[in-house]
Amino acid sequence: MVGKTIESFREAFGRALVEIGKENENVVVLDADVKSSTKTIYFEKTFPDRFFQLGISEQDLVSTAAGFAIAGRVPVASAFAAFMMRAWEQIRNTIARDNLNVKIVTTHSGFSDFMDGSSHQCLEDIALMRTLPNMGVIVPADAYATRTLLRQIIENEGPFYMRLGRDHAVRVYDDEELEIGKAEILREGEDIFLIACGPMVPIALEAAERLRDLSVGVADFHTIKPMDEGTLLKIAKKANLIVTLEEHSIFGGLGGAVAEVLGEKMPKRVIRIGTRDFGRSSRSYLTLLDFYGLSAEKVVKRVAEAVGR
Amino acid sequence: MSSSLQYKLREMLSEVNNFHLGSSITCLEILKAVMAKKGENDVVILSKGHSAPAFYVILSELGFLSDEELWSFADINGLPSHVTRGLTFVEVSSGSLGQGLSIANGIALASRRERKIYVILGDGELDEGQIWEAAMTSSHYNLDNIIAIIDRNFRQLTGKTEETMSKEPLREKWEAFGWEVFEVENRAGKILELLFELDEVKGKPKAIIAKAKAVGIDGR
Repeated sequence: MVGKTIESFREAFGRALVEIGKENENVVVLDADVKSSTKTIYFEKTFPDRFFQLGISEQDLVSTAAGFAIAGRVPVASAFAAFMMRAWEQIRNTIARDNLNVKIVTTHSGFSDFMDGSSHQCLEDIALMRTLPNMGVIVPADAYATRTLLRQIIENEGPFYMRLGRDHAVRVYDDEELEIGKAEILREGEDIFLIACGPMVPIALEAAERLRDLSVGVADFHTIKPMDEGTLLKIAKKANLIVTLEEHSIFGGLGGAVAEVLGEKMPKRVIRIGTRDFGRSSRSYLTLLDFYGLSAEKVVKRVAEAVGR
Repeated sequence: MSSSLQYKLREMLSEVNNFHLGSSITCLEILKAVMAKKGENDVVILSKGHSAPAFYVILSELGFLSDEELWSFADINGLPSHVTRGLTFVEVSSGSLGQGLSIANGIALASRRERKIYVILGDGELDEGQIWEAAMTSSHYNLDNIIAIIDRNFRQLTGKTEETMSKEPLREKWEAFGWEVFEVENRAGKILELLFELDEVKGKPKAIIAKAKAVGIDGR
């Protein structure tokens, strides 16, 4: 049931990869010794000859994936988001610069790795990937979006970065047709629009419901890049206030991307909800979200204050 | 023959403040041998991308670049200062050090046995940790179609290699990483001879340490 069922991002990723692997034998998977955590282990078990272990070495992982792409395969390079970022320069100089057909899929992004604390909680990757020419950036909202968007980044030529959480994927979609590059309007609204990505989408929906005496819309911008400017401008035309929500730094992520477009094309007040600091360890994901002002309750409070309620 | 190549290289780089001249001079001999050995499906990766001038001189010698193109080096619409994907024989752009061996491993794993992959590394480049990550990967997967050629010219950007960051004992390092190691004088004929011998060496990735006398006159 939408909004109630909790699935897992990484389970969805691992299972979908196997299904895609059955249909497309060109797909290979590369791992940096985290296969049991990212769930690429399912792919290894099904296709041992198409799975490559690189050890704990993200730089080697990314560049080896580039080699596979040069040789005509479709490599999926997967690791934890925080540690994949140590290979940013390799991603920049080889994959993005040569526009290679490499799919970088990370798990454990945002606060999803709540126990491991600030070293593991990646809050900067959208910004780092978004700045790279040629690179598409995708942040699925739930398990269904993970499956359908993963298939699309593999079918579409060119480099993509897909950012996933670990578990706690609250169901948003049943069988809607999602399309990369096209934002989903999940709830219409006149006054305020909540623009979210990833696990903040169901939170935005819950916040909008609690704010129902105002007219609050919600959109899922699962594709941060290329940004769906058409839908964004349509939203901005009617709403007085835009609020962005992301499990990521407010600097350079979804909020930054939205503000860049609106600042240039349709100046509008934008409140960016996200983080400004590093994370910290916690025994529960939801406690951590609330601590950083990302729970539905805190979002409601922030929006209500902004409109003088 | 080689001295005429060097003359061409010097002439080309005199226009651009001797851009990476030293490392290109020692790389000329290696590239000459590798390009002579390269089979149709084989891949050459110039991991030390700053030796692009040497690569271009060899390409012009082989008839793939005109003199006019050669003299356009680093001009705004001319040959890029570091090799770039899309140029003849260039499968991947370089310029950032330490990545070529990993890329070679990926190509080798994707097309095992079908082709040889020659990777040209600088000795200074070996400071990059990723080289050693990749060296582990090549030997872990027994990629005996990988041939790494180290341009051992004893110089890196700011000085002598052993003063900047010791490389020795270099042979032992590669051996410890599971590679078959060969040392050779930095002369095209000698390198080519060795490359043919290596066709018969199976089971391990192969490293050639091509030793030159340092030139050290990079214009940077």
